[in-house]
Amino acid sequence: MKRKVFSFGILIILLLILIGVNINMGSVAIPFLDIKDIIFNKDSSSVYANIMWQIRMPRIVASLVLGAGLSLSGYMLQTFFHNPIAGPFVLGISSGAKLLVAALMVFSLNFGFYISSVDMIITAFLGSLIVTLIVLLVSSKVKNMAVLIVCGVMVGYICSAVTELMISLADDSNIVNLHNWSLGSFSATKWSDVMIFTPVILISFLISLVLTKKMEAFSFGDEYATSLGMNVKMFKIILILVSSILSSTVTAFAGPISFVGIAVPHIMRELFKTDRPIIIVPASFLGGGVFCLLSDLVARCLLAPRELSISTVTAIFGAPVVIMMLLNKKKR
Amino acid sequence: MHTLSCSDLAIGYEKNILIEDICLSIEEGEIAVLVGPNGSGKTTIIKTLSGILAPINGKIYLDQREFSEIPLSERAKKISVMLTEKKEYDYTSVFDVIAVGRYPYTNVMGKLGENDISVIENVIKEVGIEDIKDKSFNKLSDGQRQKVLLARALVQEPSVLVLDEPTSFLDVGSKLEFMKIIRKLAKTKNISVLMSLHELDLAYAIADTVISVTKDHKIEKKGTPQDVLTGEYIAKLFELNGGSYSLSGGFSFNEDEKACINVESEQCNEKGFEMKNKTHFIMVQGTMSNAGKSLVVAGLCRIFKEDGYRVSPFKSQNMALNSYITEDGLEMGRAQVMQAEAAGIKPDVHMNPILLKPTDDVGSQVIVNGEVRGNMRAREYFEYKKTLIPDIMNAVSYLSKDNDIIVIEGAGSPAEINLKENDIVNMGMAKMVDAPVILVGDIDRGGVFAQLLGTLELLEEDERKRVKGLVVNKFRGDKSLLDSGIDMLSERGKVPVVGVIPYMDVKLEDEDSLTERFNKKSKGLIDIAVIRLPHISNFTDFDVFEELREVSLRYVSSAKELEDADLIMIPGSKNTISDMKWLRENGFEGVLKKLSGNQKSIFGICGGYQMLGLDIEDKDSVEAGGFIKGLGLLDIHTVMKKEKERKQVTGTIPCLGGPLEALSNLPYEGYEIHMGVSSKKTADGEAISGEKLTDIENTSSKEFRSEEVVVQKDSVYGTYIHGIFDRKEVVKAIIDTLAEKKKVDINTEEYQDYRAFKESQYTKLSKIMREHLDMDAIYEMMDLRK
Repeated sequence: MKRKVFSFGILIILLLILIGVNINMGSVAIPFLDIKDIIFNKDSSSVYANIMWQIRMPRIVASLVLGAGLSLSGYMLQTFFHNPIAGPFVLGISSGAKLLVAALMVFSLNFGFYISSVDMIITAFLGSLIVTLIVLLVSSKVKNMAVLIVCGVMVGYICSAVTELMISLADDSNIVNLHNWSLGSFSATKWSDVMIFTPVILISFLISLVLTKKMEAFSFGDEYATSLGMNVKMFKIILILVSSILSSTVTAFAGPISFVGIAVPHIMRELFKTDRPIIIVPASFLGGGVFCLLSDLVARCLLAPRELSISTVTAIFGAPVVIMMLLNKKKR
Repeated sequence: MHTLSCSDLAIGYEKNILIEDICLSIEEGEIAVLVGPNGSGKTTIIKTLSGILAPINGKIYLDQREFSEIPLSERAKKISVMLTEKKEYDYTSVFDVIAVGRYPYTNVMGKLGENDISVIENVIKEVGIEDIKDKSFNKLSDGQRQKVLLARALVQEPSVLVLDEPTSFLDVGSKLEFMKIIRKLAKTKNISVLMSLHELDLAYAIADTVISVTKDHKIEKKGTPQDVLTGEYIAKLFELNGGSYSLSGGFSFNEDEKACINVESEQCNEKGFEMKNKTHFIMVQGTMSNAGKSLVVAGLCRIFKEDGYRVSPFKSQNMALNSYITEDGLEMGRAQVMQAEAAGIKPDVHMNPILLKPTDDVGSQVIVNGEVRGNMRAREYFEYKKTLIPDIMNAVSYLSKDNDIIVIEGAGSPAEINLKENDIVNMGMAKMVDAPVILVGDIDRGGVFAQLLGTLELLEEDERKRVKGLVVNKFRGDKSLLDSGIDMLSERGKVPVVGVIPYMDVKLEDEDSLTERFNKKSKGLIDIAVIRLPHISNFTDFDVFEELREVSLRYVSSAKELEDADLIMIPGSKNTISDMKWLRENGFEGVLKKLSGNQKSIFGICGGYQMLGLDIEDKDSVEAGGFIKGLGLLDIHTVMKKEKERKQVTGTIPCLGGPLEALSNLPYEGYEIHMGVSSKKTADGEAISGEKLTDIENTSSKEFRSEEVVVQKDSVYGTYIHGIFDRKEVVKAIIDTLAEKKKVDINTEEYQDYRAFKESQYTKLSKIMREHLDMDAIYEMMDLRK
């Protein structure tokens, strides 16, 4: 119990520090004293205040909330497949969402109609659902988890290739944006976007909290869960739907972001030393936010003023975690 | 009240019916065990009855309510299931794993209330895992894991507990511990238990009901373990083909039995097999082979009989080439036949459920309940024998129905420490029936004190306690010289010496083929030589000659020794083709041909008869396989058949020519036991159809055979009938003929009938033993006051 309180404490402290640093750092540094002024003295007219409220804060909230959603989505997929390396990116679900969203964007640019954030979410959701169904079909045919993962990666590649193809063919000035988006980025997040994805992700988080008891029972096997009186079929449908909503929302707003879904739940298991969903669900949610906040900071500042894609950074942090996990698994 | 039941249930996966017409009911506190080969559908039954798998047809009832009418969460409070599973539990503690079982009781967030925690704590105590409850599940041993998973099933507070092969990966100790917990739960908490088990010995010990599922997905038998788990049925259910089978896992039943008896002795006995309280056991074990156990058992049988008890001999396993065939056509060891005669009852195959007939140095033919199970290597049998425990217990249980006392004979020495595991003949046997043990040492071969004390020393503590008396056997000379040694013996061994039996000169059949009589080379007036085939079998055919003062019976191993014999016998063989080869390689062929030319009488019995023929063919590899030319002294042709011919026969010997003409028309009684069919055939190979020379009354089938009982050509005779010499007329005719030919004078008139003779020997035996054994002490051991 002590360990859990302590670990949550660490996460929250990290979160606060990272928010501070994120506001502070950038092509224009906002001194901490000014930050204090802006927050407490309601000094909203200065350049600093503008940068902070209009540019940095939405981006911080985006990395925080979207990162949390992504990590949670990964954890749910891992529960679903009884496999710790499952995640929306690995299974190609993010790429599926990306493909449909890119198609929609290209389509709208060519035909000149406006797409709303909600449209984006729905399109991304459809994309991820299609890929999810493909993956489920494969998983019902082959029981081997390695094959499933390889299939997911392949589907992801196909989706990415088609996306690239469409971007190359799309002949428009917005192409740079589109390209940036397809690599994944929290930049250019607006408050209006935040107002849409935050409720979606928070509601999904609440649903997943309610599902923790079932997740735990389910983690001991489908049949065991059935014997405990659980409606396993229904549970699996809800699980995959919520997970898809989470990952597609993230993809719609920030593009596909790799490894967060796998790495963060694993780091949380190691940090909290438990497998219990009742702990790991909130921990992954919080941890995903912290992880993306840090990654975004690195992405923005490492080669400032140039900006790295968020996936580049999450991959550099996340991939070694996954490799370590595989090595550990081999050892046992 | 039926807690869980179903009728006309059809189950399977995705509408494909695997098993149909399942009708089961498990009552409160009942332990039902599913047994059957892999893939028979045990797990499917388990999953369906625990609600994991929906039935395709039919209904399942839980406390008289149909499954589908019970809400899932409510059902989970009544049935819990323990499956084999493979989750990675990196950081899950034992407590957390168990807590998941409270699922049906906790709120939507799974928060454990006070009640939940107290239930969990209680179950943890009950299963005995308090010490590991905070450990990580990953770090547990398999035995601990299974207990934790059991605890997880129990915190559901079920009235029905369903387990799928819960003990498959456990070692002996853990298996036993696990079963003890299950048994306690069923009996103290009235939980109904349905489980599948691979370990038949465990099933036998724990089940109230055994349900067998066959390879082709049928529920074949339901009943008590004693009824279902017979050796024959197990062999059928698992399609054991003799030597190809060996039980995996190296599970030892004896240890199990021991622990079981120690911990829950009444239940074990009550469960294990039906045994009437009034049957008393006594077991005779020896310090070595040939210590004289068989005779002591025979003597005890006779004494108890004389004292008015109904008594039966018993020996779980005999290793001997010498077999007897009962009226039911079943094969058993001769030693128990002799002891049964002493007890004054008919021999019954239950007196010796397991008979091993060595075929070569490392292999034996395994005969269980009188039926051949196949040839097995020693190692194979070592593994196999533990599956025979139910047969042994069935046999004991059968005998105990009609007997007040069962005298059990051990085999070899109980202190063969390398073979102690899975012992079913000595201390293992004694434990199975809780018999007191008398340990017999052989003073004739020297070192009797070391034998007795050394054996005691090598026994486990609980085994040593079983030994209630020591006996010094085969003593010759002045007993007073022995007295001081005897005192020290009881003092050092802390076991009283209950008797010093003198060397008994009783002529009764011997058990082992390695007896002293093989070394007897001296010649009498009439000299009968029996060729000592390497795989000699049923040599008691010739015992009758041993009782004749002027006749010497020799077992010879080299052809030279045949020269002076008046009659040459070729006995039966367990491996006719190999022994035929041996005859040829050791120069017997030429000598026999030469002697037959000299009108020397040669008599072949069974295998020996076959060898005297033209050829022996073993197309189906019944023995070693192949084809071999015989000695060519009789015009018969033999084909080995898979089915063993065996029956008791009586009749008259047909008209014969040659030196033993006098045998013609004499009555005989004996038995046939062989795996070949011989037909008459001329030397050029043309078969003559069997001529009806004599009518034989076949006691088992009352049929008439058109085959010659004794075949003769010149001075060579052959027959399939063992025991043909047992009647005094036959013996007299042979000896008279031989005596006349040799011109010696033998008075054969005084020869007793062999049976009457044996009877007198048994009386003599009991008289000597009564004199030298403290029978009061022995009765006391058995809780019997005279």
